[in-house]
Amino acid sequence: MEFAELIKTPRVDGVVLHRPFMPTVEGTLCLTGHHLILSSRQDNTEELWLLHSNIDSIEKRFVGSLGSIIVKCKDLRVIQLDIPGMEECLNIASSIEALSTLDSISLMYPFFYRPMFEVIEDGWNSFLPQDAFKDLESMVWTDEWRLSEVNKDFSVCPSYPPLVAVPKDIDDDSLKKVATFRHGGRFPVLSYYHKKNGMVMMRAGQPLTGTNGRRCKEDEKLINATLRPGKRGYIIDTRTINVAQQAKARGGGFESEGNYPQWRRIHKAIERSNVLQESLIKLVEACNDQSHSMDRWLSKLEASNWQTHVKEVLTTACLAAQCIDREGASVLVHGTEGTDSTLLVTSLAQIILDPACRTIKGFQNLVEREWLQAGHPFQQRCAQSAYSNSKPRLEAPVFLLFLDGVWQILRQFPCSFEFTESLLVLLFEHAYASQFGTFLGNSAAGRAKLSLPEKTVSLWSWVNRPQELERLTNPLYEANSLVIWPSVAPQSLLLWEGVFLRWNRSSKSLDEAYDEMVHIIEYNKELQNKVNTLRRQLAQLETEDPLLHTP
Amino acid sequence: MEFSEHIKTANVEDVELRQPLHPPSRGTLCITGHHLLFSDREEGSSRQVLLLLRNIDAIEKSVENLLGYTSFFSHAGHSERTSGSSGTITIKCKDLRVLQLDIPGMEQCLNIAHSIETLSCLDNVSEMYPFFYRPTDLNPQSHRGLSAMETYYGQTKELHERWRLSSVNRAYSVCPSYPPAVIVPNSTDDDVLKRVAKFRQGGRFPVLCYYHRKNGMVIMRSSQPLTGANRKRCKEDELLLQAVIDGSDKGYIIDTRSSQQVQQARITGGGFESKSFYDRWKRLHRQMEKGKALQESLIKLVEACSDESHNMDRWLSKLENSKWLSHVQTALSTAGLLAECVERDGHSALVHGSEGTDCSLLISTLAQLIMDPCCRTLEGFLGLLEREWVEAGHPFQQRCAHSAYSHARLQQESPVFLLLLDCVWQLWRQFPLALGFSEALLLRLATEVYASDYGTFLCNSDQERSALGVKENTYCLFRALLRPTERDIYLNPLYEPTELAIWPSVHPQSLQLWKGFFLRWTQQTRHLEEVQEEIRNMVIEWGKLALS
Repeated sequence: MEFAELIKTPRVDGVVLHRPFMPTVEGTLCLTGHHLILSSRQDNTEELWLLHSNIDSIEKRFVGSLGSIIVKCKDLRVIQLDIPGMEECLNIASSIEALSTLDSISLMYPFFYRPMFEVIEDGWNSFLPQDAFKDLESMVWTDEWRLSEVNKDFSVCPSYPPLVAVPKDIDDDSLKKVATFRHGGRFPVLSYYHKKNGMVMMRAGQPLTGTNGRRCKEDEKLINATLRPGKRGYIIDTRTINVAQQAKARGGGFESEGNYPQWRRIHKAIERSNVLQESLIKLVEACNDQSHSMDRWLSKLEASNWQTHVKEVLTTACLAAQCIDREGASVLVHGTEGTDSTLLVTSLAQIILDPACRTIKGFQNLVEREWLQAGHPFQQRCAQSAYSNSKPRLEAPVFLLFLDGVWQILRQFPCSFEFTESLLVLLFEHAYASQFGTFLGNSAAGRAKLSLPEKTVSLWSWVNRPQELERLTNPLYEANSLVIWPSVAPQSLLLWEGVFLRWNRSSKSLDEAYDEMVHIIEYNKELQNKVNTLRRQLAQLETEDPLLHTP
Repeated sequence: MEFSEHIKTANVEDVELRQPLHPPSRGTLCITGHHLLFSDREEGSSRQVLLLLRNIDAIEKSVENLLGYTSFFSHAGHSERTSGSSGTITIKCKDLRVLQLDIPGMEQCLNIAHSIETLSCLDNVSEMYPFFYRPTDLNPQSHRGLSAMETYYGQTKELHERWRLSSVNRAYSVCPSYPPAVIVPNSTDDDVLKRVAKFRQGGRFPVLCYYHRKNGMVIMRSSQPLTGANRKRCKEDELLLQAVIDGSDKGYIIDTRSSQQVQQARITGGGFESKSFYDRWKRLHRQMEKGKALQESLIKLVEACSDESHNMDRWLSKLENSKWLSHVQTALSTAGLLAECVERDGHSALVHGSEGTDCSLLISTLAQLIMDPCCRTLEGFLGLLEREWVEAGHPFQQRCAHSAYSHARLQQESPVFLLLLDCVWQLWRQFPLALGFSEALLLRLATEVYASDYGTFLCNSDQERSALGVKENTYCLFRALLRPTERDIYLNPLYEPTELAIWPSVHPQSLQLWKGFFLRWTQQTRHLEEVQEEIRNMVIEWGKLALS
């Protein structure tokens, strides 16, 4: 195997590992094709198994012949390895650098990983595209909507899945024409159907009107077909009007009032990917600041703008949800490509509107449907995280911003979600580095080409085991069938400590409190069961012994 | 009774009340000598809002004459609206709640506003509500009971060998802001204390406030020494402090002012313990804001919290500008320093600033919470407050006369006690299992300290309270909180006692805005309260099951 070429020194003894909140460990460092392993060869000490793909950047330091490598991970953890011997240290460092930036997908760990656990339910089959809209099929909506296979060989839109939901009256030929009029072929498709009032949310790429106001009759017909007679709809453009105007020069554009008279356009300002990446870098830098100055921390937090992005995204999602639930209008969401901020808005709006998305299975389904199948380019966006020294190209923490948004809602409605923060943190980690194949590739087409279901294990196979589900279940959950409106006032939004301060602040005492709470709730359930049994016994005794009846 | 002079309109019908977290409602408004009472007259519900006038920090009124308004617009020459005029009174409370009353009739509105303005800031303590409040399920405070300091001395047997309870201040003649009983070294007699008192501002000679059982070290507190510009010294003061460290090699003095500030203090007669006369004491300076700066910080913070601009940058920079979190950080880190001197370094410590009635108390209280598990129970914490704040002479009446909304010129107001509660909340958040009481207690105290049915926080010192017969004529808040009916609300269901010191992280990233208090009247904290409520109920249910 060619990894061996990259590993000049596969083993070093006497390496000391420093990591947050754990005692230092001395042991043997081993490099393999995919892992950095530190083993102390003692019982009861935890070993370190770190995926190379989780390493964002490294720094080397030397004091005499003792070298230190500071490893900065994509999950924002920072660890330090003290390695005796300068040559060993340099060799290890260069191996890590090479192995952590391998470009070839097929060399990645998921293709080599074999599950050490029993797969109860194969995650690759958990959320098949044809099942995505299954629960709706029985309903009235089938009169208005259909599943189209127009993209079955990914030729109409390379970033769409093979199966999409479109208005019933629009045939596949029209869809093909519309695809040529939308950025990346992303013609408007159904994203969410609001059972309560039959309104829908659609998403698309920007229309390619260009400077001379090109129009496309089929496009107009398609989106008008989603409106009930006499009803108006809203188009939520995630760009400001200025940015949308400028897009015309590059062949893009927006739906003009003249050609789309039944639609009202609303422009919101969600920043594009490169801005988000810079924001994340600044935020993480601020969180790791060791200075004790409160002013400095607050102004760095402000300067990072991260919280502003969280607010903008939530506000726009609320707006979309409001149009659907309160105004009783259908909504079309797009920005430029329709693969980033568009998905942020449509997926967060569903968290607000749809109680099903707040269950563990439903949330997985949402991620699968609105992110993986919908063509969010995970591979490009999550190639690097906040510590990387190389120039960001297509990297952007869009998915992390989504998880942060969900966390804010979860924090405001602690009883309405079946899962805890842990599921969100888990998804963050696996989106950036994973032994599972779920987040590999940039689209359904890419994943199909890689034969991921045959060659890798799905993250959902791991998550949907009883042990893991138990860990992720929110003990406070009480199904809430209502729409939940989060507060988006800046005062209401908090920094997500569970991710951004995870390695700086020990959460030991908070974890203890959480365990105590879980214990209280379990004990309470037990007692309630006991009470019910006793009541039943009492009732039985009363029927058996009429003397017990009070006259 | 003379309150009636101030009440021209006692009753108004058909008033609309708007308050946070509730739909608007219509009903009758009554003004009494101490209360504003609103009764909802809608069928089915009989909701009442009873507000102590003392709780009102500021009011704003706007009156509009509807007749004039309509004639301006109507060309038809007649108006259907003959209701005349109406007015709106916006009431801003010291607990940060904001209420609005729409009152029909301009004159009535003005009368009501006038009554509220006058009655909410009456100065005479003996006319205040605690002197009229008569709860049915409480006994009046008995004035023969032990003071908190005496109780502490009685409970801490280890003290008795080297420390004694002195009643030198029995008649408040040595130090007007001290209680009658204080704890001092055995070897120091009352005459020495009298001389030391003359050398310390306000007569606040060094007294013991905490004994650390693990190593026998103590925390003392006092006010600044009056060395003045020509470096006056006082042999007795030096001897007293020498007696404190008896046998040990050194002690620490934590001065809550910067070294620059203490030099300036000499010009006005104050000063510090110089190295040459107190050679075994090591002085550490930590500058803490108090007084006006703190009050202004609170005003800015509350202003920021009620900002409705929906702009994240604006909110974060206003939060930063208010400096409130910096004050929280300084207080916690100075308390941490004090606790480190005692617990980790194993030496006794003396805390003072200038007067010794604000920051010194803040620091000594927090340090005790950090080190002493006994202070972390509900009873222990209330005892600590009684000893270190009420009896130790924190001038509550001056400090809490107004809160963040008042338009009145600032005098002696300063939210030192609120800062304490905020710091305790930070501890509670970082160590959710270690404190036996809940956030609800801190919120209750934050309200009661500004306006209360009880006499506990009246006046500025024990002396004033005894002169007015506060103990005999009013009820004690701390006792009321410990009643079985109330107790449950204020216990932390997750409490698991730990003997260890709880060292708070004072990194800026670890400290948070106390949303429960500062954003209490906004929608979003409600869901969190519901969860806490849920857990609390479960624990109470168990208690009942265990009994039956």
